[in-house]
Amino acid sequence: MATNEFRASGDLAAPLRAPRTGAWARNRELLGELVRRDVQARYRGSVLGILWSLFNPLVFMVVYTVVFSHFANLHFQGKSYPAYIIAGLLAWNFFSQGLSSATSSIVSNAGLVRKVSFSWVLLTVSSVLAALVNYLISLVLLIPFFIIFHLVPGWPLLLLPVLVLVTFALVLGLGLVLAAGNVFFRDLEYLVTVVTLVWFYLTPIIYQLSLVYQHDHGTLGRTFGLLVKLNPMTWIVTAQQDVIEANQWPQHWHGLLYAVAMAAVAVAVGVGVFGRVRRRFAEEV
Amino acid sequence: MAGPAVRVTGLGKRFRLYHQRNQTLKQVLVHRGRGRYEDFWAVRDASFEVPVGATLGIIGENGSGKSTLLRCIAGILVADQGSVHVDGRLAALLEVGAGFHPEYSGRENIYLNGALLGLPRRYIRRVFDDIVGFAELDRFIDNPVKTYSSGMYVRLGFSIAVHLDPDILVVDEVLAVGDAAFQRRCMDRISQFRSEGRTLIFVSHGLESVRETCDTAIWLDGGRMREMGAVEPVLGQYVAEVNAREAIRLELETRARPPLPGGRAGVGVTGIRFIGPDGPATVFRTGDPFAVEISYESPQPLTGPRFFVGFVREDGVTVLTVPTDDSELEEAVLPARGVVRLAMPALPLLDGLFQVTVGIAEIRTEEWYTLLDRVYAFRVVTDQRPERGVALLGQRWELPELAPAPVRA
Ligand SMILES: Nc1ncnc2c1ncn2[C@@H]1O[C@H](COP(=O)(O)OP(=O)(O)O)[C@@H](O)[C@H]1O
Ligand SMILES: [Mg+2]
Repeated sequence: MATNEFRASGDLAAPLRAPRTGAWARNRELLGELVRRDVQARYRGSVLGILWSLFNPLVFMVVYTVVFSHFANLHFQGKSYPAYIIAGLLAWNFFSQGLSSATSSIVSNAGLVRKVSFSWVLLTVSSVLAALVNYLISLVLLIPFFIIFHLVPGWPLLLLPVLVLVTFALVLGLGLVLAAGNVFFRDLEYLVTVVTLVWFYLTPIIYQLSLVYQHDHGTLGRTFGLLVKLNPMTWIVTAQQDVIEANQWPQHWHGLLYAVAMAAVAVAVGVGVFGRVRRRFAEEV
Repeated sequence: MAGPAVRVTGLGKRFRLYHQRNQTLKQVLVHRGRGRYEDFWAVRDASFEVPVGATLGIIGENGSGKSTLLRCIAGILVADQGSVHVDGRLAALLEVGAGFHPEYSGRENIYLNGALLGLPRRYIRRVFDDIVGFAELDRFIDNPVKTYSSGMYVRLGFSIAVHLDPDILVVDEVLAVGDAAFQRRCMDRISQFRSEGRTLIFVSHGLESVRETCDTAIWLDGGRMREMGAVEPVLGQYVAEVNAREAIRLELETRARPPLPGGRAGVGVTGIRFIGPDGPATVFRTGDPFAVEISYESPQPLTGPRFFVGFVREDGVTVLTVPTDDSELEEAVLPARGVVRLAMPALPLLDGLFQVTVGIAEIRTEEWYTLLDRVYAFRVVTDQRPERGVALLGQRWELPELAPAPVRA
């Protein structure tokens, strides 16, 4: 560039004028940079990093398939149990990864929050977006496996983006509350890890929802059933299994609508809570 | 007519001082609450405007709220009272280290910081080499910044801040960390910055750099604005007050000191006073008469004593150590209690805080009766004199015969 050639390196050169942009463009630029950063951090050492994101669902798939369909004699009704697990796990991994990185998103960037003023909410948003990117990469990489299990893509797949959006909203809403909370209570991160672990079993990922309906008796059975049904992830995961593995439109529309409503509530609460306490982040973090 | 670059109106910022701070849910459950705290106003009732292109210095003692005020202006802290209005792109360089992510390399942090200011990547790519060059970090730019020294940190932070074309630059006490050459380049950069009509808000310990850089100054005292206006008068009042306070502090310290420890054989120093033109004092002017008075006490008359005084500047430079003359005192017998004086007709020391060591030894055995190492201190101020350094050396300029002044029409 011609102007650059006349500039002595560094000192006392005429300054380049940078473009003045509006808040919206600025935040978009920053969000892009933050997501890039998060994703790159995960895939550092490129090939291995990408393999790693494949590795996790595959290992789980193998373990669960062997343990549950072979030894525990689980009666799976559907096309392919391994594909079923992968479909559910993908959605779940997006959820749990997003939640855990969102929770620590403010505290782990303390150096920035203390020293630079920007829309700190972008840190949380970007951590969830990075989990989304990760989800999409895994989804694409796993296509060969779906083919191995003789799955055929069908119209119901068109619903997948909607499901992704709902999951995103749910994670973001919860994540905003947790990210803000984690600034004030540093052990929240650990609590989230434990709760997520339990939550996993309250979501029909390795078992089928029909199983919950069948065993809906006794105090234990009823409580478990209730928790599963109150869990919005149940309906998101089930729908994703429907559209990917069973090649059918979601069978539980009411549940899905409930999940959408919960996601909306979560976002509203998250934005509210985060907005209220963000003013004290820089001095508390 | 455009408005000011920064307008601060009735700004107040309150912190919580925790007596006991519960930062985990576990503690909150155990102790039933977030902890006990008091509210504390770090900045109160600050109102001022910084016009576009002005340079404002903020001075004040440690803890007077300078950094807090800057962080409110930078939008990092949210005011509890009043408001801050900023017009233009603001880059802040706050105490040691800009907003860096320790795990990322210098390169990644440059892009990140650019993005934090809302700059597109392609712009940063264009100034990237300049940033690295100015910070002199070419070889280290791909190492994680957590491996950088504090000087490298500051160099990178400053370089980023000035190259990202801010309208308003806010700098807090950071330049003290870099080496002298870098400080010089920073000051040059800052004056270039001024000449480009940008706005600068500057906090520095070095009053000289405030004087050099700023046209207006604010003096913060305990979170409130004491003075505001042209830089010279504000600095003058500040320096006068600091000296007065120091005098009081040294005075109080002297008074509160426990009795001086007795020495060997019961010979000890019972008191030390610094005497200026108006009697005992703790702050003195260069060139004024000055004396150190040592009162001593001994069970019997003192035979063959050696008295000793040493001056050490606060940065550790030993300015002078001076024993009494042995040949004069070897055979002498001094009264069992008395006062010895070390006098200077004109104090040659220049600006600084000086600590004083005194001792009494026995010439015959070469053993100390007592040695009080740096127990007292006094301050020297050099007003309206051009000399800088440790002390006047009785120097004199000798110039060629002066030609008669040309007659003016
Ligand atoms: N995050 C914080 N929490 C509690 N107190 C703080 C915090 N930051 C600064 N303070 C207090 O506010 C006062 C002003 O601090 P500061 O603005 O850093 O002063 P200065 O920069 O003038 O030395 C100090 O008493 C300091 O202890
Ligand atoms: Mg400070």
